[in-house]
Amino acid sequence: MIRIFLSPWRWRRQRRDGVLSNEARQEIPNDVLLGLVRDMLKNGGTDAESGEHFAHHTATIWVKGYSMRPFLEHMRDRVVLAYPERPLQEWDAVLAEITPGHYVLHRIINIEGDNVTLMGDGNVRGTERCKLSDVCGIVTHYIRPKRTILATDKKLIRRIKRWRKWLRWRRYLLFLYRATV
Amino acid sequence: MKIKEGFEVCDLFDNHVIVASGRQNINFSKVVNLNESANVMWKAVVGKEFTVQDMANALTAEYEVDDATALADAERIAAEWKEIGMVD
Repeated sequence: MIRIFLSPWRWRRQRRDGVLSNEARQEIPNDVLLGLVRDMLKNGGTDAESGEHFAHHTATIWVKGYSMRPFLEHMRDRVVLAYPERPLQEWDAVLAEITPGHYVLHRIINIEGDNVTLMGDGNVRGTERCKLSDVCGIVTHYIRPKRTILATDKKLIRRIKRWRKWLRWRRYLLFLYRATV
Repeated sequence: MKIKEGFEVCDLFDNHVIVASGRQNINFSKVVNLNESANVMWKAVVGKEFTVQDMANALTAEYEVDDATALADAERIAAEWKEIGMVD
């Protein structure tokens, strides 16, 4: 019933962002792939085509899981990660190794000295803690099927900050969001 | 033909995955997964000029397969590599 009621929002979202692709993909386990991503982000090299030298690679990966809803959707969206060269901000989504071999792509909600607290946008409780040095990459682009959004987009940052303020209502907002996916 | 520079094979579990490490952005959302026989051909021809026949020869040297089948497989794989832009 609620899905029917929210259909106009679902259609609007699908027109704007695109829909989940049914394209067959072989998935590589996250703990293996993200270890490789971490290593690649650290390393630099020389572009084979332009010959330009770069200090660090960037990496594009599929988003897996639902913990970053509503900003990132499982296997619909991709993100571009960059090596964290600039100071981290409290609204940055980052790839962090929270325990050896265990990676999360979550958003920073607090930084105190060397300690970083992370929380998924789609989580109503539960946080992860790690050190600044455990942050392997910062999300610089959100790639949806039909559009790409810069992580520095002011409108996006406003939405992220608003989403954090509405933490107590998040459970209900996520329920409504799920009905529009 | 020649495999373009900047591609390298990473071994992940039992998978041989090609990533474009010679570019600034490595697109892990579009990696190429090589099966065992494709990996044999890749190893035989990487870093040098080659023909489809060279790829087929690598297959016949490694597996018990007749020349025609090996050539057909090599042609199919070479066409795929060309299509995704890994081969000049």
